Amino acid sequence: MKRLALVLLATAALPGIAHAQATDTATADVGVSGTVAKLCTLGTPTPAPVDVGQMANTSGARVGKITVISPRTVTLPGSFCNFAGSAITVTATALVSTDASAVEPGFAKAVNYTADVANWAAGSATVTTAATAGGGSPTASATGPTQPAPKVADLDVTLSNFTAPSDFLLTAGAYSGLVVVKLGPVASGGD
Amino acid sequence: MKTSILAAAAVIAAATALPAAAQTATGTVTINGTVGDRCQFTLPSDVINAGELSLQGSGATAGKLDSSKLDGQTRTLVGWCNGTAATMSVEAQRLVNTTFTTTPPAGFDRVVNYSATATANSANATDTSVTDGAGSAVPVGLFTGDVKVTLSSSSSPTSGLLVAGDYSGQVLVTLTPSVTPAP
Repeated sequence: MKRLALVLLATAALPGIAHAQATDTATADVGVSGTVAKLCTLGTPTPAPVDVGQMANTSGARVGKITVISPRTVTLPGSFCNFAGSAITVTATALVSTDASAVEPGFAKAVNYTADVANWAAGSATVTTAATAGGGSPTASATGPTQPAPKVADLDVTLSNFTAPSDFLLTAGAYSGLVVVKLGPVASGGD
Repeated sequence: MKTSILAAAAVIAAATALPAAAQTATGTVTINGTVGDRCQFTLPSDVINAGELSLQGSGATAGKLDSSKLDGQTRTLVGWCNGTAATMSVEAQRLVNTTFTTTPPAGFDRVVNYSATATANSANATDTSVTDGAGSAVPVGLFTGDVKVTLSSSSSPTSGLLVAGDYSGQVLVTLTPSVTPAP
């Protein structure tokens, strides 16, 4: 009778196997992580450089003085920042004669203009140079509104409103200016 | 006389021992036991830190996913299953930007998808994070040893620029005894 009883006990334990198996599934995990750093990129300026051509009238009532120079637009395609809170800083340097000689009274060796960078935030980043007739203080800078989201866009840089200090006669020679566009976090002023 | 008395006693002793030989008996105890189907990981977790996920530089692909950061990454877990019917499945859970949680503007992505393959006992279980849930379970049977996890085919939903921030995902590997419960 003992022998039979032992066998029955073993058999009675068998139905419990299925329950134990249900809890023996094993799960493991491999965590995967990475980062994407804040990044801003400006597209290649197109066209560049900008040649405004002859800037002085060669005849008429305003002969020798600055002529009407049509606005010029340069596009920076595919410019982007991959984070929220960016801004554009535009720094413009007036067109200044490469001739280092001092100017005579009534003459100017600088041409000022307005540089406007559009299509980034709600408003443009705009600055107007204010060089003196002798070419002094040719550089000005301004920062535009904040872009509150990541953005990719074609930036339009428009140069317009070309003027000579005091509307003086322009000295002959080659003139050169520069527009620098910076795109970056607001905290760093767009740098 | 002494000799004859001793001889007689020996005969009596022999005679009394004879009935004991006829009473030999054997008892038996049967020992049974079971080993349930089980699977277990002895090294159940690891981490892949892929670092910077976007392409650097200033070219046309700058800011987009650098697939080389994820593709080919491997980690080795260790486990076992003691039943012939055991199966293995994998669930790849996409990397998601945890610091930028709103819908990104057009041209940007905040998700990185990939495929994960777990290899154990010459069986491969795969899954892509593009679709939710685990991939199909494959038979893995009796084994003990490495469960190698490999990533591949990483991509972002629109092949766009990745939004800056921290990205996190995970691969889940499940070993299942796969025994039909008793009725």
